[in-house]
Amino acid sequence: MIYKVISKSEFRKFIDALVRQNTSFGPRQVDRNTADEPIYQFMPVSSVDDIEFDYTLTTSSAKHFFLPFRDQLSRFSFQNSDFEQHVAYEADPVVLIGLRPCDISALNILDDVLLNGRYPSPYYLAKRKNTFVIGMDHLPLPDCFCKSLAHHTVSTGFNLFCSDIGEKYYLSINSSKAFTYLEEFQTEEPSCEDNCLMTRRRKLISESFRTEVDVTSLPSILDIEFESPVWDKWGAKCLNCGTCAMVCPTCYCYSVDEHFDIDLKGASRNRQLYSCNLVDFAVVAGGHNFRPKNGDRLKYRYYHQHRGFAENANQQICVGCNRCGRACLTGINPKAVINDLRMEKESCMTCVSPSPDRT
Amino acid sequence: MHDLRFTIPRQDLNREAFASSVPDFNLKSDLMKTDMGYKCRITNIVSLTEQEKLFRLRIVDPEERRIFRFKPGQFIMLELPGFGDVPISISSASSNHEFIELCIRKAGHVTSALFRIDTGMHVAIRGPFGSSFPMDEMAGHHALLIAGGLGIAPLRAPLFWINEHRDRFRDVHLLYGAKEPSQLLFSYQFDEWKTISHIRLHTIVEHADAEWKGSTGMITELFRDITIDAKNTYAIVCGPPVMFKFVCSCLDRLGIPMNRMFVSLERRMHCGMGKCCRCMVGSTFTCIDGPVFDYWSVMNLKEAI
Amino acid sequence: MNQQGMHFEKLKIASFDFTCCEGCQLQLANNESSLPAFFELLDVHAFREISSEKHDDYDIALVEGSISRSDEIDRLLAIRKQAKILVAFGTCACFGGVNSLKNRIPIEESVVEVYGELQVETLPVRKISDIVQVDISIPGCPVAKEEVERIVVSLVTGSKVNLPKYPVCVECKQQINTCLFDLGEICLGSITRAGCSAVCTSGKTPCLGCRGPAEDINFPAFMEMVRERGLSESDLREKLDFHNAFETYRNDET
Ligand SMILES: Cc1cc2nc3c(=O)[nH]c(=O)nc-3n(C[C@H](O)[C@H](O)[C@H](O)COP(=O)(O)OP(=O)(O)OC[C@H]3O[C@@H](n4cnc5c(N)ncnc54)[C@H](O)[C@@H]3O)c2cc1C
Ligand code: SF4
Ligand code: SF4
Ligand code: SF4
Ligand code: SF4
Ligand code: SF4
Ligand code: FES
Repeated sequence: MIYKVISKSEFRKFIDALVRQNTSFGPRQVDRNTADEPIYQFMPVSSVDDIEFDYTLTTSSAKHFFLPFRDQLSRFSFQNSDFEQHVAYEADPVVLIGLRPCDISALNILDDVLLNGRYPSPYYLAKRKNTFVIGMDHLPLPDCFCKSLAHHTVSTGFNLFCSDIGEKYYLSINSSKAFTYLEEFQTEEPSCEDNCLMTRRRKLISESFRTEVDVTSLPSILDIEFESPVWDKWGAKCLNCGTCAMVCPTCYCYSVDEHFDIDLKGASRNRQLYSCNLVDFAVVAGGHNFRPKNGDRLKYRYYHQHRGFAENANQQICVGCNRCGRACLTGINPKAVINDLRMEKESCMTCVSPSPDRT
Repeated sequence: MHDLRFTIPRQDLNREAFASSVPDFNLKSDLMKTDMGYKCRITNIVSLTEQEKLFRLRIVDPEERRIFRFKPGQFIMLELPGFGDVPISISSASSNHEFIELCIRKAGHVTSALFRIDTGMHVAIRGPFGSSFPMDEMAGHHALLIAGGLGIAPLRAPLFWINEHRDRFRDVHLLYGAKEPSQLLFSYQFDEWKTISHIRLHTIVEHADAEWKGSTGMITELFRDITIDAKNTYAIVCGPPVMFKFVCSCLDRLGIPMNRMFVSLERRMHCGMGKCCRCMVGSTFTCIDGPVFDYWSVMNLKEAI
Repeated sequence: MNQQGMHFEKLKIASFDFTCCEGCQLQLANNESSLPAFFELLDVHAFREISSEKHDDYDIALVEGSISRSDEIDRLLAIRKQAKILVAFGTCACFGGVNSLKNRIPIEESVVEVYGELQVETLPVRKISDIVQVDISIPGCPVAKEEVERIVVSLVTGSKVNLPKYPVCVECKQQINTCLFDLGEICLGSITRAGCSAVCTSGKTPCLGCRGPAEDINFPAFMEMVRERGLSESDLREKLDFHNAFETYRNDET
């Protein structure tokens, strides 16, 4: 990693040059809510003036640039009794500007699951390789809890990361590409004062968190509280709408469907991001549903997010952005659910018996 | 204002070396074509019952046929282009490199479509995926194989393995239960198993017909007919979810250690590679850590049975 | 047509309209690019919008519109007798649709309102499945042509006909829309069956539930949520009644 500082006006020139030359997305205000707060999303940008550098957080995450909501996995073309399968890992270069530390941490977690597992996904890799990620730090929203999961800072997974130190941005340059582009612009070595400002900025961010979620030993609490009434309580509120998983930066599960073309000469195999909250997530042939109740399904979302699964065992995949909590119509959010579980656990601490020791 | 210095160059994965190579699903570290199947020709179809057919598939490409190796208990994703893909256990011998056999029940969309195709047609398979039965570890012991209904399909591969290495096993029991006599699959192989392989076959049906001379009742009743040396026995249980609970607790009572009892679980699957999360069971995925689990793991997995 | 050794037959199809705007049929005729390929799959027997041929030899009957006159009942029963597969086509056929608004005022009044002094026989509006068995429902006001194409292809190839089981929110969120509740509106997206690509909410119009309830919806939690937000109860009821699609849940409620 190489550190530089750049004046804000020079930074804008740099971003403008990038944006004009490449397909780029950055935070833009799309609406204002009833409380007159701005609503931001990652949207196409064509000049630096389109970008709201001082935005808070987007409602939807940036995962769909890497895992499209809908995506073609392969094509088949038929000739009588035979067919040909075509698979392509297509991705065009994209510049993403203004990702928050939690967004980038989420990408690192997706890398773990989708690239470092037993079967790395070329679809994801193609997109990841062709995306130029520029991160920016920010002051947390009152309900952000990424600090509880140590995701309020990130040190890998981006090309360039910018910290706002007042007049300048403090740049962490993490790729040769970013370094070469920046050579065309006026940057400086960080001075002693810049480093000091940077430390102060970090401290300010860290101290600005208003929400804390105690996630220590959550995996075992989730196991022990598997039959907890907490799930029925929150399950009763859940609409099974999948909104939480769609906006979440780390929910990656999907459904596959296959269709003949209308001329019947070919077929395509597509995937669609899905959610374990949706009613038919675990339905098998014959109609048996392994998770028939709202509470069962909601529990599994928490189980997967906070228990840590197969490819990333015992490592939580939630980064604490609280996007799910903000988007949920009925107010189901990780802080409330996890606190409830903890209370459950603490109120029945005495009756936990050791598991049978038999092998 | 076109300044090409700032254009991000395209990195084309399609042109990398792996894109032209054959996908090898057994090689679990390299990047590979995760969605590219091996094209197979259906060389034979046998109707076992009205609901079940045995398909024989031969991988078309010799190179692909060479690298396709599986272990008893593993499954493949069978793709019928235009309809979809489904997880199916491999029912043939793992030593057979010429063809694989799949015993398929007509259950829904893809499987019904499979029932409409003829020999000579083509399908694709991805895999093999999942864990397998520990055949080498089982050798030297007694084996107790228990199948309910279609559970005989995943059991056929270990059966073949035992037959091929019969001298390495002590007593081998196969307990096999079905709803009706007509639904006992592979009955044409029973004699071969009994006489050539010296497997003690015990069958039972829930509802007998006029010709049925064997036992009737639930599969757990067969335990009364057998005596086993529990401390030296490995058990494999395959069948519908309801069966596991009863059979496993019977085995438990017999005193078979939990880490020597194996079950094969079924969940909804869309990828086979730990990516779609549809097969979540407890805190893992059936497709990569399963489908074969020992009973101790199953006990520790929430919602497993 | 022969693919994978399977023989695919054209569908002998006929379309019938009852009380409705015929907008759904028009949707089909609108499919410029795929229209030729689409009609390759069909053997059209009575399809007012597209061909004028009329035969009584069909397997699949697309029934559009709701039932509001007694002669319509007889016609529908005759169609049911002939058809191997009866498809309720469009929201009116599936749920009663906008026409059912009429049911909320006494029948005599509605006759006077619509036809003045003319004496017209009219019955309360009923959906197709109130009268005959429906094999496939394709909801939508109007129907989504991609979905119709997919279902036709499924019927030709003998695939299972599936509608999404999840609600519109999934598709809405996939298009990165701002949730209309954040803008203070009532939207039925979280209880309505997806499949329309969330056209309404993408255009900032709340979902009115034209595709009917999604699978296994949590209706009480939805009602509770709207109340907790302090949104207009009458607006909510109006939306729920708009297409008559939540009839069963509404009846359970009271
Ligand atoms: C490890 C494993 C081994 C299996 N081995 C066999 C076998 O040897 N023989 C056999 O006949 N069946 C086997 N099955 C069950 C078989 O996969 C299902 O019957 C089949 O997926 C049904 O698909 P469908 O399209 O016909 O049904 P639909 O109900 O139309 O299914 C739609 C989709 O749901 C998924 N799905 C539905 N049911 C299941 C299920 N039980 N398991 C996994 N995914 C499901 C599939 O992705 C399928 O494409 C096995 C399942 C698993 C998990
Ligand atoms: S938790 Fe909230 S957002 Fe998620 S499915 Fe349930 S109701 Fe929808
Ligand atoms: S938590 Fe649920 S919705 Fe999210 S990735 Fe896991 S299975 Fe999918
Ligand atoms: S589960 Fe919620 S808080 Fe955690 S990463 Fe996903 S959206 Fe953010
Ligand atoms: S606007 Fe409607 S459909 Fe979209 S997310 Fe909100 S409730 Fe769901
Ligand atoms: S958004 Fe709602 S009202 Fe609009 S088409 Fe879809 S289901 Fe119908
Ligand atoms: S089948 Fe996709 S995760 Fe197991």
